Amino acid sequence: MTLATTQNHHRMEVDTPLRTLTLADYRRQREAPRREPPLPSLYPAVPRQGQAWGMSIDLGACIGCGACTVACQAENNIPVVGREEVKRGREMHWIRIDRYFVGPSENPRFLFQPVPCMHCENAPCEVVCPVAATVHDSEGLNLQVYNRCVGTRFCSNNCPYKVRRFNFLEYAGGKDESIQAQRNPQVTVRQRGVMEKCTYCLQRINAARIQARTTGRELRDGDVITACQGACPTRAIVFGDLNLVDSAVARAVSSPRSYALLRELGTRPRTTYLSRVSNPRDDGAGEDR
Amino acid sequence: MAQIFRRSADWLLKLVVAGGVLAVVAVALAWRGYVASQPPMGQPVKQPVPFSHKHHVKEVGLDCRYCHTAVETSSYAGIPPTTTCMTCHSQLFRTAPMLAPVRRSLAEGRSLGWNRVHLLADFVYFDHSIHLHQGVGCVTCHGPVDEMQLTYRAEPLTMRWCLECHREPERHLRPREHVFDMDWKPPRDQLSLGRELVARYGIDTSRLADCSVCHR
Repeated sequence: MTLATTQNHHRMEVDTPLRTLTLADYRRQREAPRREPPLPSLYPAVPRQGQAWGMSIDLGACIGCGACTVACQAENNIPVVGREEVKRGREMHWIRIDRYFVGPSENPRFLFQPVPCMHCENAPCEVVCPVAATVHDSEGLNLQVYNRCVGTRFCSNNCPYKVRRFNFLEYAGGKDESIQAQRNPQVTVRQRGVMEKCTYCLQRINAARIQARTTGRELRDGDVITACQGACPTRAIVFGDLNLVDSAVARAVSSPRSYALLRELGTRPRTTYLSRVSNPRDDGAGEDR
Repeated sequence: MAQIFRRSADWLLKLVVAGGVLAVVAVALAWRGYVASQPPMGQPVKQPVPFSHKHHVKEVGLDCRYCHTAVETSSYAGIPPTTTCMTCHSQLFRTAPMLAPVRRSLAEGRSLGWNRVHLLADFVYFDHSIHLHQGVGCVTCHGPVDEMQLTYRAEPLTMRWCLECHREPERHLRPREHVFDMDWKPPRDQLSLGRELVARYGIDTSRLADCSVCHR
């Protein structure tokens, strides 16, 4: 009997997806921040006007509990596919938690990394779509337009982060009233044969914007809280406007711990990570002293 | 060797091809009619009570918000409960046979089952409050409701029609204080008024045609 596990389904071709810093390294970087120069690109630079939504995930805080995955599932009408489909690698979660082992195999340490859509500024998924079903909006969100999608799955193949999910069967299920009542009316229920992925909780962004506008004020930091962010018990996820000076996410991105996953590909992801800082013993036995 | 097909077979072939094309077109049209999300434009929709907006708005002078209470604060304008009808009709036309379903609804505590006139596709997320706030009048999308004996859909409500305004809102905007005004007419220099309103209400026209504004 095989175990229905999702752990090795979405592997990225990367050596160190999860970066860790020793305390000494961190102090050195904080004193003399080493800014990596932007990579050259053949694509025109994406202008950052208005709001520029971004997310930062603190790997030092993440405990791998999976609350973000479940919250996202509830918020975004993500279907439960069942054991057989999971074994085929067809789970639909928009945010997954990668698990890594470090140290001796008889007593390894567990490290966790949540991976949602990166909302790349130079998104590899967009250029391969033959029907323009995945496009950018003017705030830098990478959108999936379900009604345009014809299900070629080129986008998923070209995504280096492996965060796109294809609706192979009619996973959303029947039209039972009990299921309809369970769904979030603010999010489209996707049909079979279309690609889907994290939207940065677009419905919450729109609701917050309309709320701000009709009450006659500007959007403030903290007005938009994504489902994963709201559910995270250790507050590892922050979300907000990168253009807003001193927003929580802008502060996180300017930290010396901040890094972009697969930066070398030049995708310029809007989701970034804060590396984990550890303080190992000199003899290498155990992580912290 | 003799010919396999006679000359008349040529006609038969043409007939079969033409018939095939016609069948495809017929199926396509039937399918289109079947999946049409809206009742036909300009035709009144059958309702449990022949409610007249013309009578209530033009002749009696009710404000839109007397019944559609949530329109300024919510995505839905709101369909009034039977008790709203009864604020007047417990005193007026108490025995009118036309209003029997309303009285039955109140007696039985069951909502009147109004039929939708403006039905958008499920993947469109329209919000009334923001449109009113930015100066889109009721009449702009719903037509001359105060002239409607029976309510019908006056505009196509297709994506193309929505985009006409989302791309050039200045052609359709009016001052906020006139959004409920049924008789407001655009001035001769609507464009300059519209441009001024776009600036005054802070409407970001560069992102109004983004997919994410209406679809999610």
